[in-house]
Amino acid sequence: MKKTIITIIAAFVIFSFLPNKAEAQCRQQMVYTCATKGQSIYLRDFNTKLKNTSTNDAGTRWTVVLNKDAHYRFNLCTPDGFENKVILTLYDSQHPEKTSPYGSTFNATTGDHYEQFDFICKKSGMYYVSIRFKDGVTDKKTCAVGIMSFVGSN
Amino acid sequence: MPKKFIFHIALIGILALQLSTLSSCKNRDDDLNLTDSTTYNINPVIGQESIDEIIGSFSSPVEMAASMKSLDVEFSKKYLIDPGLTEDYDSNNKKAFALGVLSADLGYLNIYERTNLIVQYLSAIKRLSDDLRVSQFFEFQTLKRLATSNDNIDSLQFLSVQSFRDMDEYLRQSGQSSLSLLAITGVWLESLYLLTQVANETNQAQLKDKIGEQKISFDLLYGVIQLYRDDPYYVDLLNDLKELKNIFDQVEITYQVGEPETIIQNGTVTIIQNEQSIVEMSDEQLEQIILTTEKIRNKLINL
Repeated sequence: MKKTIITIIAAFVIFSFLPNKAEAQCRQQMVYTCATKGQSIYLRDFNTKLKNTSTNDAGTRWTVVLNKDAHYRFNLCTPDGFENKVILTLYDSQHPEKTSPYGSTFNATTGDHYEQFDFICKKSGMYYVSIRFKDGVTDKKTCAVGIMSFVGSN
Repeated sequence: MPKKFIFHIALIGILALQLSTLSSCKNRDDDLNLTDSTTYNINPVIGQESIDEIIGSFSSPVEMAASMKSLDVEFSKKYLIDPGLTEDYDSNNKKAFALGVLSADLGYLNIYERTNLIVQYLSAIKRLSDDLRVSQFFEFQTLKRLATSNDNIDSLQFLSVQSFRDMDEYLRQSGQSSLSLLAITGVWLESLYLLTQVANETNQAQLKDKIGEQKISFDLLYGVIQLYRDDPYYVDLLNDLKELKNIFDQVEITYQVGEPETIIQNGTVTIIQNEQSIVEMSDEQLEQIILTTEKIRNKLINL
């Protein structure tokens, strides 16, 4: 009995660190590769673990401050097999995520998926970036990495 | 004995599975009521999570430098802080602010590939981050090796920026948002300082515009700093920044409506945002911003 209690405590101690390590693995394996794909300058990354639930939109949203006259690039990297199942979207309240975002790695009209899109900002301010499972995807979970990088000044 | 061993292993496995499931449930997509690019007034009753989201939304320590380089602005070491200055800082608030300033300067050096100067900035950042107990986010040996070998500038840039962002995120997640805010303020103020110094010398119209546009991010930052006004360090900071706020308040930003345009060429998607912000700022206001930024920055770093 004593051994069992010790095992339970040890398991809690050991595995309370597990989530961070799992996230770090995703970061180490994917962020660097994703961030150094092109010629643009890495600014920040958007790491997420996606979990499909029936009650909400599976995904994460971040706010970003973008500057006027900057040419940004947004990349999305996912594990093999998830290329067409996850979407990165850039939007604000005037250009809502679901109806008319500025940009997305998925074109709902044509059904095309893109690894990346460029955004030429003409208005400084706060915007949102989301990474979510595409509607209708039944996979339970995965991780995904978005990269925001700087291409140049316009 | 083997049965007990199997039982213990199974128990560990079940606990691990449950804990990792809990962690994957983490979803930051809560019902936030933030303003965005359409407006930029701060909500005075904003919650801690929203405050953290705003702090985390600011641009990286390299963006302003990258922007200046892309406009063919030449490098100059004279704008940068002397890293030795930060040795005597005695409070965590000062150290966090200086960490931001040094990170912006490190970003500037990285972008201009001045790797010979980087090591002394890395050493100062290491000292401050050790004091703030966040040095685990900086792989100093790797950063120094990359800086001295001078053969992988992309990796150096990537690792420098990611280390700063990871540290910043950790500060917010561990209940030290006020230090994170100071680091971000340090980055922002030093970036503005670099921009204003360059604009003062080169007189480029695009740089002038960029300075005026900083009114938007400054208002956001100032609004969040105000929320910490119970802290005496922040009271002093607000008093210093108030002078800059008064000048930026006179800068007019108007908006020209337009719908975004999407161009797809050779499989590359480019979105051009045709809605524009237009800065109206007099030369006198510009001069005041340049002088005031220099004054505040120098005061805060004890020059």
